[in-house]
Amino acid sequence: MAYVSTKSTPSRKPPLNESTPLGWVKVNMFSTLFSSVLSIFVLIAIFFTLKSLLTWGIFDGVWIADSRRECFSISIDGACWAGIIAWFDSIFYGLYPRDEIWRINLGGILLVIWMVPLWLPRVQGKVFIGFSAVALYPFLAGYLFSGGDKGIFVQVMISGAIVCIAALTINAAIGYFKNDNLANFIIQRLGKNDATEKQQRNILLGILAACVVAVFIWQLSWIEKSISWTRWGGLFLTFVIAGVGIASALPGGILLALGRRSKLKAVSILSIGFIEIFRSVPLITVLFMATTMFPLFMPEGIVLNKLVQVIIAVCLFNACYMAETVRAGLQAIPKGQFEGAHTIGLGYWGTMGLIIMPQALKHMIPNIVGTFIGLLKDTTLVSIIGLFDLLNILRTISRDKPWLGLHQETLVFGALIFFILCFAMSKYSRHLEEKLSTSHK
Amino acid sequence: MKLTTLLTSVAAVAAMAFAGVASASAESTLEIVKKRGHVRCQVGPASPGYYFLDSKGEWQGLDVANCHAVAAAIFGDISKLEIQSVSTQARFTSLANGDSDLLSRTATWTMSRDTQLGIDFLTPTFYDGQGFTVPKDSGIKTGMDLKGAKVCVTSGTTTESNLNDFSRTNNLNISAVTFEDFNVRDETYLQGGCDAVTGDKSSMAGNISAFPVPGDHLILPDTLSKEPLAPAVRHGDNQWADIVRWAQFAMINAEELGITSANVDDLKANSKNPSIRRMLGVEGDLHKGLGLEKDWAYNIIKQVGNYGENYDRYMGNGPQGIGIPREGSSNALWTKGGLMYSPPMR
Repeated sequence: MAYVSTKSTPSRKPPLNESTPLGWVKVNMFSTLFSSVLSIFVLIAIFFTLKSLLTWGIFDGVWIADSRRECFSISIDGACWAGIIAWFDSIFYGLYPRDEIWRINLGGILLVIWMVPLWLPRVQGKVFIGFSAVALYPFLAGYLFSGGDKGIFVQVMISGAIVCIAALTINAAIGYFKNDNLANFIIQRLGKNDATEKQQRNILLGILAACVVAVFIWQLSWIEKSISWTRWGGLFLTFVIAGVGIASALPGGILLALGRRSKLKAVSILSIGFIEIFRSVPLITVLFMATTMFPLFMPEGIVLNKLVQVIIAVCLFNACYMAETVRAGLQAIPKGQFEGAHTIGLGYWGTMGLIIMPQALKHMIPNIVGTFIGLLKDTTLVSIIGLFDLLNILRTISRDKPWLGLHQETLVFGALIFFILCFAMSKYSRHLEEKLSTSHK
Repeated sequence: MKLTTLLTSVAAVAAMAFAGVASASAESTLEIVKKRGHVRCQVGPASPGYYFLDSKGEWQGLDVANCHAVAAAIFGDISKLEIQSVSTQARFTSLANGDSDLLSRTATWTMSRDTQLGIDFLTPTFYDGQGFTVPKDSGIKTGMDLKGAKVCVTSGTTTESNLNDFSRTNNLNISAVTFEDFNVRDETYLQGGCDAVTGDKSSMAGNISAFPVPGDHLILPDTLSKEPLAPAVRHGDNQWADIVRWAQFAMINAEELGITSANVDDLKANSKNPSIRRMLGVEGDLHKGLGLEKDWAYNIIKQVGNYGENYDRYMGNGPQGIGIPREGSSNALWTKGGLMYSPPMR
């Protein structure tokens, strides 16, 4: 007589809501009468919205036509996407002369080449990559985009930028494939492994100087046609304003936040005054001040570049918002961290740079990215003062004779572009948070 | 001691600033423009027919042609030009503070603007008038039928106040529905949000042509206001005003004399007509008074065309035109019963 069953009991099926979509629907959407009614109501609303949206945009939409009139003759109620397609170049490049567009593309590609090593594993010197992208790349890109005569300072910076991007690319390749860095690689190739550190450094500096001089001489013959900023526009201009704003808002914000918390009375009062003044005025007011009031104070005949005025205004404005975000992050750091840093002999900048900021910035990521997204969307305000950013170009389509009155499709398209950009930023910030999160979970 | 040092330095800075201003204003606009190498011409946010961007990113339009003409007159090259697009609110400030050299956009020449804003209007390039658009089946035949009606209007221009004046004078009790953007105004009208649209007749004609069914709408015969649309320059530099004014007159005069961009070379070489020869700089020295080169008018006609050519191209039935008939309107030449009249060029 055996009490132990020889057969194993058949495994039971998983609960309905775990196994089939239908089960999930039943448990989550129709569990009670109230939620059933609510679900049906919402589903109907979604169905009709989607149906009319898809009918308008896709099924009745017109993709190929030469004018809005032709769109109407094909489908009177559908969207006329042909206008957007005809204006593609303008939407992305604004009024930029069409045979010079390669300069914008090249500038974009260079930025990608510059930044990609930041995301590659095993590459060394990532802090330098980020720093150089902020300090050197703007000169190279700025000249590519605007052209004309180069001053001696810009020439030097451009040479530096070209050498830098070449070195960074080689360094990234060496790092990725050989898990080494460029400096060591050169020393080994030259067989100077045994030389003293000072000799090695001198060799590297010598090579660097030779490269910069060679590039400097080469770039003397490199002259691009001058293109006025008034021809910048479209998504390109939006990127320029937002890009400079984003690159400068964080450093500016950190300095202002540190200034505000400073024990030096003068520094803290100045910082507080600056932050509060800019934060209590709407951005559009700052922009109007910068572009219409400022020239009144200048001597007659002197006209400052409106784009530069706008970019400065955007940078200052966002640095002030960023300062408060950073200050909030700083206040979350326990006092023990400061004291700990002091006990190991770190000074003010050492404490801030090595101990406090890395911790604080990690906590601030959601807010920082939130400010960046706000900044990107705020750039559309420059259309009010006559710059042809993405929004303004999209609005201009409806004034072009063949596409007269085409304004809904263009705004939908603009919304789509902004959604893609903002959503990508938001997703990336989530990814960063997870990557950097340590023990706090 | 310290106070005196401070006071002296403040005085010195003030004196330097004053000297800077004085020396700068002594320079004429023409000199500044020549030194800079291009003309800064102000237009507005794109407006069909007058100034708009085409899909290649180039400015076009009747008012842009004026900008081109000034650049051609001074530099002999229409590309020596920077078009500035300035919002309606900032347009006159931007001209008065020296940001723009001239303003060539659909600005109505009114007395208060001409006398109070530090700017001078020149000769009108387009005579417009405000009117109403209504649906054909509404039964409205004149503006008087609009009693108690809701009328869509764009804000921030003379249009809105003209509508109020019209409503008050005729005791019509019209309620205005204002919009920033004419596209939204028209959309609201098309969806029945208002009984009529008011605006400049010319631009409304262009807008109606873009409606899904243009034939369903008509422009009422009433004209609410005179709208002479003229370019403007800063007050006080008469030489500059002369240049802009005569660049326009040259285009009108050329049409009257039958000079076009196509035949200008031929006429310059072969014409016996003294008026044509004087204008194109073959004989006489008309250019001296303007401080320009001998072939200033030739360059305008060659590169920009005469007034009629530009009208057809942008306002008339050309491929880019918004289809406003010119015959019989105020914009016809004076010889054909219109108001386009240039003083003789001699």
